[in-house]
Amino acid sequence: GPGIQLPGFHGGSSSWPSAGRSGIIPQLQNIVSTVNLGCPLNLKFIALQARNAEYNPKRFAAVIMRIRDPRTTALIFSSGKMVCTGAKSEEQSRLAARKYARVVQKLGFPARFLDFKIQNMVASCDVCFPIRLEGLVLTHQQFSSYEPELFPGLIYRMVKPRIVLLIFVSGKVVLTGAKDRAEIYEAFENIYPILRGFRKQ
Amino acid sequence: MYQLFTPIFFSCCSGDALALPRVTCPNHPDAILVEDYRAGDMICPECGLVVGDRVIDVGSEWRTFSNEKALKDPSRVGDAQNPLLNGGDLTTMISKGTGAASFDEFGNSKYQNRRTMSSSDRAMLNAFKEISTMADRINLPRNIIDRTNNLFKQVYEQKSLKGRANDAIASACLYIACRQEGVPRTFKEICAVSRISKKEIGRCFKLILKALETSVDLITTGDFMSRFCSNLGLPKQVQMAATFIARKAVELDLVPGRSPISVAAAAIYMASQASAEKKTQKEIGDIAGVADVTIRQSYRLIYPRAAELFPPDFKFDTPVDKLPQL
Repeated sequence: GPGIQLPGFHGGSSSWPSAGRSGIIPQLQNIVSTVNLGCPLNLKFIALQARNAEYNPKRFAAVIMRIRDPRTTALIFSSGKMVCTGAKSEEQSRLAARKYARVVQKLGFPARFLDFKIQNMVASCDVCFPIRLEGLVLTHQQFSSYEPELFPGLIYRMVKPRIVLLIFVSGKVVLTGAKDRAEIYEAFENIYPILRGFRKQ
Repeated sequence: MYQLFTPIFFSCCSGDALALPRVTCPNHPDAILVEDYRAGDMICPECGLVVGDRVIDVGSEWRTFSNEKALKDPSRVGDAQNPLLNGGDLTTMISKGTGAASFDEFGNSKYQNRRTMSSSDRAMLNAFKEISTMADRINLPRNIIDRTNNLFKQVYEQKSLKGRANDAIASACLYIACRQEGVPRTFKEICAVSRISKKEIGRCFKLILKALETSVDLITTGDFMSRFCSNLGLPKQVQMAATFIARKAVELDLVPGRSPISVAAAAIYMASQASAEKKTQKEIGDIAGVADVTIRQSYRLIYPRAAELFPPDFKFDTPVDKLPQL
C-alpha cells in the first residue's frame, strides 16, 4: 500500500527524486491527543474500580490511567474529557484512546468517542554530523535562541510550518509542536540544508 | 560683589509667531553666547560683553553639603529630576506639620495626605531602587545601571510582560544590560544578588528579548576570565594562560556542547595547577558557580592535549606531564 507519504515524493512517479531530499526520516516519539467521552464521570468510582488508575484529588483533579498496549497514559477528567499521551503513531494514539473509552464504558458510564484530535506530535532524528551552533545562532538570530547556561541545545522556532526544533551539537534534532506528520517532515526538510551549511569540519 | 545692570536687547525671529525672544549681543547679533554658570551670565565671545544677567541656574542645590551633622536638609528644590525615566515628576508633597495647630482634637495630624506621589510610576521607581540595590551588591558601574533602567522602562511601558514579578523583570534586565555592555555576568551571579530563581530569570530573559526584539551576543570563555581569576587571587600570568587555554580548547573543538563557564573553570584549574598558585576544583567551582564534577568532566576532555593548549611563553611550576589526572 502507499504507507507514509515522504516529502519530495510525487505520487505517480515510480522513482524517488534524490535531489533536495535529506534521506533521513524523523521518527515519531510521542503523540498527545484529546477526546471527549461526552458524559460526566465519577472519578472516585473509576479510580476504585479500574486497574492501573491513580487518583489524588489534592494533587491533580484527574484520574491517571495507564495501559500496556499501546503503552500510553491517559488523564481522565470529571467533565468527561480525556488526554492521551505516550503513543508512537497517530493510529496507536487513536487506538489507545478508544481502549480507555472502552474501560470507562465497561465501568457503566455512557461513554462516546467525540472530537478525537491530535494536539501535539514530537519526533527526533539524527543528521549524523556535528553542528556549529554558534554559527547558526549568528545567522538565524531572529529564529534561534542558544543559551548554553540555560539549555545545551539551540531552540529554533520555525515560522512556516510552526514547529520548534531543538538542535544539539551532536547532530541530534528534536522536532515538536506539530499537529500533523507532514509538518514534521516539512520542517526537517527545511532545516536540513541549513544544518549542512553549519557542519563542523 | 556688585551687579552690573546691563541693558538687554531682544530680537525676534521673523516669520515665526511663537518664537521666544532670543538674547543677542547688540554688537554681534550672530554670535552664539557663552554661558557662565559661576556668575549666571551670558557672555558674547566676540567682544566679551555680558549680555544676559541673573540666568536661572539649573544645576544642583548649592547649599547641600555632604555633612553628617545636617539635621535638616537645607535643600530648597528637592532631588535631581530624572527626566529620562519618569516622565516629569512635578508633584507637590505636603510634609507633616510642626506646631500645635496642625493636630486636631484626637492628636492626629490634620493634613494627612502625603502618600500619593506619581502612583503610575511608583512600581517603576520601586524597580529602579531594586536594580540599584542589586547592582550595588556586585559593584556594577553607573552605565550598566542606566542601561538596565532604560531596558526596564521599555519593557514596563510595553506591558507585554505585565503579569511577571517586577523583581524578575528587573533581574533579567540587569542580566541583559551586563551582556550588552560586553561584560556578561552568569545567571548564577545575578541569582546571588536577587531573590528570583535562575529558572524565572531565564524565562523573563527570553521574553524580554522577544518583546524588545533585540538579541545579545553569545558568551565566550574570555568574558569571565578576569573576574574569576581575580576573585581567586591568581596572578596575571595564570589568568592569561587560562584565557589562552580556554580559547584554544574551543578552537580545537575539544569540548563540544559544554557551557563556556565550565570550559573557563576547567582552563583556570589547569593553568593554576601548572603554576605556583594551585587552586582546588572546589574553590574554582565556588567562584564560577559550577559543580566540581563539571570541572572534572571538562578537565578530562582538555587534559589529553594539555601540551598544545598552554601559551608558548608560559613558565611551568609543574610540568605538563605532572598535571593532576582526574
